Amino acid sequence: MTKIGLEIHCQLTNLESKLFCSCKANYREFQINENICPVCMGLPGSLPRLNQEAVKKGTMIAMALNCTTPDKIAFFRKNYFYPDLPKNFQITQLNIYGDTSIGGAGSIMVGDKKIRITRIQLEEDPGRLIYEGSSTKNQITLVDYNRAGTPLVEIVTEPDFENPKQVREFLNILSDLLENLAVADPSLEGAMRADANVSIEGGNKVEIKNIGSFHDLEKAVHFEITRQNSLHSRDITITQETRHWDDKRKITISSRSKEEELDYRYFLEGDIPWVKIDSEIQEKLKSKMPESISSKKERYISKYNIPSQVADVLSSDKFYSDLFDESHTENNAKEIANIITTDLMGLVDTREKLEKSKITATHLRDLADSIQSGKISRNSAKNALYEIVKTGNDLSQVISELDLGNVSDESELTGIIREIISEESQAVEQAKSNPQTINYLVGKVMQKTKGKADPKLTLDLLKKQIG
Amino acid sequence: MNLKISALEFVQEVQNGNISAEDFVAKTLERIQSIDDKLHAFLSINEDAVNQAQEIDRKVKSGDKVGVCFGMPISIKDNMCIKNSKTTCGSKMLENFVAPYDATVIRKLKQQDAIFVGKVNLDEFAMGLTTEFSAFGPSKNPWETDHVPGGSSGGSAVSVSAFECVASLGSDTGGSVRNPASFCSVVGFKPTYGLISRYGLVSYANSIEQIGPLTRTVKDTAFMLNIISGLDSNDNTTVDNKDENYLSGIDSGIEGKKIGIIKEMLGDGVDPAVLSATKDAISKLENLGATCEEISLDMVKYSVAAYYTITATEAGSNLARYDNLRYGYDFSVEGYEFNSYITKARQNFGPEVKRRMIIGGFVPSTGHAGKYFLKALKIKSKLTREINDAFKKFDLLIAPTVPILPFKIGEKIDDPIALFLVDINTVTANLTGKPAISVPFAVSNGLPIGIQLLADSMQDKLLLRAAHALENTVKLPEVPI
Amino acid sequence: MVTEEEIQYVSKLMKIDVHDHKEYIDKVQTMINYFDILDSAGVESEEISMQEMPISHLREDKYIPFDDKLIEKLNNYKGTYVRAPKMS
Repeated sequence: MTKIGLEIHCQLTNLESKLFCSCKANYREFQINENICPVCMGLPGSLPRLNQEAVKKGTMIAMALNCTTPDKIAFFRKNYFYPDLPKNFQITQLNIYGDTSIGGAGSIMVGDKKIRITRIQLEEDPGRLIYEGSSTKNQITLVDYNRAGTPLVEIVTEPDFENPKQVREFLNILSDLLENLAVADPSLEGAMRADANVSIEGGNKVEIKNIGSFHDLEKAVHFEITRQNSLHSRDITITQETRHWDDKRKITISSRSKEEELDYRYFLEGDIPWVKIDSEIQEKLKSKMPESISSKKERYISKYNIPSQVADVLSSDKFYSDLFDESHTENNAKEIANIITTDLMGLVDTREKLEKSKITATHLRDLADSIQSGKISRNSAKNALYEIVKTGNDLSQVISELDLGNVSDESELTGIIREIISEESQAVEQAKSNPQTINYLVGKVMQKTKGKADPKLTLDLLKKQIG
Repeated sequence: MNLKISALEFVQEVQNGNISAEDFVAKTLERIQSIDDKLHAFLSINEDAVNQAQEIDRKVKSGDKVGVCFGMPISIKDNMCIKNSKTTCGSKMLENFVAPYDATVIRKLKQQDAIFVGKVNLDEFAMGLTTEFSAFGPSKNPWETDHVPGGSSGGSAVSVSAFECVASLGSDTGGSVRNPASFCSVVGFKPTYGLISRYGLVSYANSIEQIGPLTRTVKDTAFMLNIISGLDSNDNTTVDNKDENYLSGIDSGIEGKKIGIIKEMLGDGVDPAVLSATKDAISKLENLGATCEEISLDMVKYSVAAYYTITATEAGSNLARYDNLRYGYDFSVEGYEFNSYITKARQNFGPEVKRRMIIGGFVPSTGHAGKYFLKALKIKSKLTREINDAFKKFDLLIAPTVPILPFKIGEKIDDPIALFLVDINTVTANLTGKPAISVPFAVSNGLPIGIQLLADSMQDKLLLRAAHALENTVKLPEVPI
Repeated sequence: MVTEEEIQYVSKLMKIDVHDHKEYIDKVQTMINYFDILDSAGVESEEISMQEMPISHLREDKYIPFDDKLIEKLNNYKGTYVRAPKMS
């Protein structure tokens, strides 16, 4: 059986500051080495100052993944020399002296498969290395420390995945969960990175490091399984090793054995006393946690009778579910869920469009009410939505400007119907003998009114006219 | 101009207009000029000190608000950061390192109008107890210049003892303030762990070390502590002392206090002169109304081995950052591969630092941590329990600061185990986080002897009160320089 | 008893060059051997304790930029980068 385990590094991109200093957590907006201070540069005499919010957010992630949360957390030093590490050690977490990592054992369901979480740890991101020069000989290594000290959670799973599809489903669930908790924006470049370990039946475990996105993680796992299967089928031993993901060529490459010699000499970080997170604080954090995706879904189905598939789509996206929760009432919930999932999501299908969109809860409420009261047709609602997303104007303004309002004036509609009856005498005769074909005439009225005729009224009037 | 006054006397005199800060600072710099060639306390001098003193005098004259230090000239051990000044840590590795920020203690002293006359010598990265391991040469004991002044804050003790400043800040990882204070006959204090912020103190063994003042009198230490102690958001290990005033009630004596005499610190290897001074101190404390009784702290026997295991481990990690990439000395990376460059760059560490780096890599490594590092941590825990128990029975503990007299430069430099044992009486306070102070108490054949008192955590005020009482029982000769 | 090979291995790990320095190895050996005394302390069952702090003691999550262009005070290459040796 194939076994896959993951180590996922998620930056807590929604924090203001780094894990141990007041530099900005979102380093992306800075010029090279402009988001640095004595602490994140590890200058002599500087000390780490732990970010309170990072501890709280880390605990929430642990809770959301059903992990145990210890009453005290401790930090450790992982010692190794590398130019992207300003102190030549990384401050991270471990469970050497009891469970002191921010999250202990937990699990999450991926479809019917239970994926066990080994541990969640809070740690600092290193800086970024940039290589210049065309060959190894004239290579120049440059370092940008803007990222150094960015808060990360590392989520370590047991080797419970059996195929890349499960990995992908898990990553989707995890992304949605992190977004729902408002701790991270998984779409930011470099915000989610991972290592994986893969073994096939009868083979040794292979570690794949350096996978820069969730997208590549699935690919890397897939590549590695294929590689191992191909070796296995030719009776070649799969050696236990570390491989690197080459994101240009999309293959894994064996790393030289050098790294195996490392001895990290983990020991307690004395500059950070153990942080007490007693049950009272844990309860408080729990009560502040946003509603989970599964509970949202459950609520949408049971309370509003929204179809399971629609509820699924709606609940797993934080932006849309927030919009839904803000706008709906008991009467229009289904209508709003429909507008969001069938029209709005298609309209703003990229993050960029979403960020630019001007739609508010009020817009949605007005739209749903107008559809239900027959003020506008579904079709016109779609056009109105397009305009609202673009301009943010009131629905009433949009309707009048684009002339989207339903033709529900009886005399106006009667006039139009009379025209149709005189033009379509054959169809009128048919409708007289076979009432079902009257829909053809309704369609003609719609055509003439550009979809704005109130459908119910049109039918009533037609029946009356035909007799 | 009399330079031989205490910090509190200095403050009083300037405040009253009897002396000017400018005169005093100028004379202090002249004295440094004239005698420091012999003593080598200073590594760098603040050229702007006289101008800064002038500004204080102007404020005093015009009635502006002046900080409580009134231009008091103090020296700073060269492992604390003063913005835009060199901080060498006594190492070739940081020979040209200019700190871009102020340590918290420096910021606080600046706010109170202290003047830093210069940075003083230390064993490289504070690893040593003689200053012989300074990359810039040893400091000399002003009482006998071919003797060591103690260390690692040797420059601090020498500068205070030889009237090159009125007070100094040192750092104490295993006795590095108290040991040179004892050897140079000044007061040296290591507070409760966390009482003084370490932000800006270059780490050696961060889990046990503290900044501490070296002064002429215990009252001066209390005065300094009032300024530099307290919670600091830059250092998560600091503790809240609720703005304690350490000077108030310092004269109230020790009548009725119970003092434990630590048996393990008066055993084999204690110099007879030190032993007799200790006995004398005990009887003087009894005369003041204290009761003294022997107490055993079993773990003291293992404390030095535990201390060196822990400090080497932490130092191995704390000093890893010195790879010469981001700051350091002039040595281009051109043509080098990573490992060879770093290894070559780190050749600028002195031999003692290198030895401790190797030990620091060995004792916590896979396969050895259980035998060494973990056991050391456990000894630290057990020793802390033992001393906590002792403080249930006693208010204070007493022992000689150093079991032996100051020795000659070069005498022990090649015998690491002999050097280890000089620390036996001081490391306990660091391993347990307790406050401890060395009080000048005797001079034997021209060589000073200090007596050490220890108190329970956050009992620093009581400790200073007792030290002040002990200090008042003796009148010591003046330093012969 | 710590061996010369072990010391040489650790030296490499710590990026400290002791090549051809017999005296180093001797002294370090002496120092480490002294630590054997730790074995007789009988502390195996002892728990390790650490300083603790409440979560309220921790720094508020606020962005405060450093008040200086720090990179200009450090070794820099082309003005803004830090240069490192070749990574083979």
